[in-house]
Amino acid sequence: MKRNALFIIAATLAVLLCGISSQTVFAHHSFAAQYDRNKPATLTGPVTKLDWINPHARFFMDVKDAGGKIVNWEVELAAPAMLIRRGWSRADLKIGENVTVNGSLAKDGSNLLNAATVTLSDGKKVFAGSSGGDGTNP
Amino acid sequence: MKTFLNAFGLILMLALLSPSLSAQWPSYPTPGVPKGPDGMPNLAGPAPRTADGKPDLSGIWSNIRPPAGQRGQGAAATPPPPPPPPPPGTPPVATFRDVGAGFKEGLPLQPWAAEVVKKRMADNSKDNPDAHCLPMGNMQFHTHGQPRKVIQTPGMIYIIYEANSGLRQIFTDGRTLPSKDPDPWWYGYSVGKWEGDTLIVETIGFRDDGWLDINGNPLTSAGKTIERFRRPNYGTLEIDVTVDDPKAYTRPWTVRVNQRIMLDTELIEFICEDRDATHYVGAK
Repeated sequence: MKRNALFIIAATLAVLLCGISSQTVFAHHSFAAQYDRNKPATLTGPVTKLDWINPHARFFMDVKDAGGKIVNWEVELAAPAMLIRRGWSRADLKIGENVTVNGSLAKDGSNLLNAATVTLSDGKKVFAGSSGGDGTNP
Repeated sequence: MKTFLNAFGLILMLALLSPSLSAQWPSYPTPGVPKGPDGMPNLAGPAPRTADGKPDLSGIWSNIRPPAGQRGQGAAATPPPPPPPPPPGTPPVATFRDVGAGFKEGLPLQPWAAEVVKKRMADNSKDNPDAHCLPMGNMQFHTHGQPRKVIQTPGMIYIIYEANSGLRQIFTDGRTLPSKDPDPWWYGYSVGKWEGDTLIVETIGFRDDGWLDINGNPLTSAGKTIERFRRPNYGTLEIDVTVDDPKAYTRPWTVRVNQRIMLDTELIEFICEDRDATHYVGAK
């Protein structure tokens, strides 16, 4: 029993280590052509749709604007293959789930955000690592 | 405690060797992996060989990244530090962003080519074909972070690149390159021959508008590449790429690409869906 417990601890540590080891995030497009690092934003609201597609996975969420009106936003993530190798799956984000997203706004002013972190209502972070690496970041 | 350490070591190694924790294909053991006395994969063991005695380059390979730059910073940020100096006598390591990152004086660009690179960088690389779901060139495929699968058969080596689902054919059946003005192709025309344990691949017939990296260092239809593939041990693939393109560069130059084997895993489908081109072009 004790041995099993140790094994589980070891496995957890290893998985965590793997998760934080240097996995490359590759931008398909040029991040800087589309997003502005100097325009950070935080959005909170329920997920309305998830597209598990290449070159970037993306989801949509409803967010209340300053006037209380519900606005649908598109949130861009890394490629599904990148997210999968980081240990995420499309089941980690459920429609209707309340999430908080930090990221960079699109330069063109549209309701589009490139996610840096996605935090679920229970505090768990999913899909960490955006498509904003431009291919140079490990 | 010993059990704990053994278990930890085993799982840590598996985790590091096989990053596909939740890949679509469940983990499945790669056959023929040399093992150490402890039963663990010995990646420093000998490279496999084909029936004719040549090294077998087959396997799924991951590009070894240069040391960490800055995570989560875009093109506007300071460029990542250059990779460490390679051992004496080896070519500088190419990066996905800048194939010439290891050249102190930069690549020997012709003046017009230097202008092209300047413009492409000023445009945030928005016209990089990859940004529009078009193919990457062979060099971008070599340095890209997504894995590639080499399948070596008698007379032909195939490389399936996960990124943008690239497929390359290298003929090793003795044929020669097309001699008369071949139609330009994204991947060109490749033939390979063995010199000892090194596979020498010569490629011509590129399009005139190639991008070797994110920065947009060019490759033209006058270009020829020579790639030298070596598998010095089971876990390592070294590729030295010489670009000889007198139209774009004042002299030939050579870079190194290092790759490591990935065990017990598979490629993941990557079909680029350019649903909305303006989305990818971005900035107004």
